[in-house]
Amino acid sequence: MSHRILIVDDEDDIREVAALSLETLAGWTVDVASSGAEGLARAIECQPEAIVLDVMMPGMDGPATFRELSKNPATAHIPVLLLTAKVQSSDQRRFADLGVAAVLFKPFDPLTLATQIEDALGWK
Amino acid sequence: MKDAQASERPFSLEPAEQNALTEALDRMWAKFLPQIEERVGLLESSAAAFSAHELSVHQREAACAAAHKLAGVLGTFGLTRGTVLSRELEIMYSTQIGPSLAARLIELAAELRTIVANRK
Repeated sequence: MSHRILIVDDEDDIREVAALSLETLAGWTVDVASSGAEGLARAIECQPEAIVLDVMMPGMDGPATFRELSKNPATAHIPVLLLTAKVQSSDQRRFADLGVAAVLFKPFDPLTLATQIEDALGWK
Repeated sequence: MKDAQASERPFSLEPAEQNALTEALDRMWAKFLPQIEERVGLLESSAAAFSAHELSVHQREAACAAAHKLAGVLGTFGLTRGTVLSRELEIMYSTQIGPSLAARLIELAAELRTIVANRK
């Protein structure tokens, strides 16, 4: 089943590999944004079914972006999956407390990224 | 909240599709290699500066950020060992380490350089 996803990450390599994976392997429609502010605008405009949101970004970081998405009636219903290279348990607890749908970890496997998202969101 | 890390089931791919994806990833590796090499270079120069007791706060923060970014991306291109080494460097640069670890910083950066250079 096809889905529409928004990827928000300031790292162009991560953004492009994730988009390649989800478009090529899963056949999903992928929108991208390179900052939290751009992500907010794209989310309102594109109305994706889910947002994959990087944690560490300059300016508005992932948690701040998530809070803005949650406050906006146009985007509050969209599930957010945080994407992070932080593996320490204290960081993971902090992210879990934010109320996101799931946390995905970098590095991700391009072959299983779509499945991870589907499993996390109960799409299967 | 679910922990999505445990998922192992990939989408099924025909051999031709698998090859196409692998080739696309290889093209992306080539595209982003200069940026990756630049980050490895920053870790090499930071290790040398630390060894010479000349590592500034700004350099340390830059090294920490470079290691973090490498940790996040190298495994995505199949370089799992590169991610492990980068994480070790990120932890070292984010904490107060003593001069005795200078050699380890240099060693880790050198191994990262080799790993990146040897990816086909």
